[in-house]
Amino acid sequence: MTCSPMSNAAYRRYMRRFWPATGLYVLAIALATWLIPDDATANPLTVAIAILPGIGMVLMIWAMARLLIELDDEYLKMLEIRKSLAATGVVLAVASVWGILELYTDVPRLPVFFIFPLWCGGLVVGQAWNWKAGL
Amino acid sequence: MKNRLRVLRAEREWSQQQLADALQVSRQSVNAIETGKYDPSLPLAFRIADVFGLPIEQIFLRV
Repeated sequence: MTCSPMSNAAYRRYMRRFWPATGLYVLAIALATWLIPDDATANPLTVAIAILPGIGMVLMIWAMARLLIELDDEYLKMLEIRKSLAATGVVLAVASVWGILELYTDVPRLPVFFIFPLWCGGLVVGQAWNWKAGL
Repeated sequence: MKNRLRVLRAEREWSQQQLADALQVSRQSVNAIETGKYDPSLPLAFRIADVFGLPIEQIFLRV
């Protein structure tokens, strides 16, 4: 069995799960933007449409969680966990600092929608952390 | 923790990929262990010992 990162079965399953979830998210965002006016009120129909992108994001998060669970190469798993820890740290730091700024000043509100994209950006920080550590 | 993985692999003329395949891990894992960047878990250390047919203490050394 060849177990390079790209040939690891856990990564292959991750790709099979993540990209359809991303596709659903993109399509659902486009649909919601097209169907729901900017000033729409929350009613069963708008909520049903607006929740679809969220389902896509939940599926993306599930795919990432399954990767961490199913990755059987302990070194690669360590690298992925370090990246996730770094991403979580970035999100907690930004949310805390910006939250306090919002509390005491009139800086713009940070929509909670940005938490997940910010976490994904934190993965890049984690990758750089791994690289800096020579891993 | 030091180890003799590179020497033992060279003695058998195995590539990192061949050793990785035998251990069912990635080549990156073998490289990280060889270069001392990563200390394997006890189960993986036992698998390494089995592949080389040696006791663990002849592969991994106290610093």
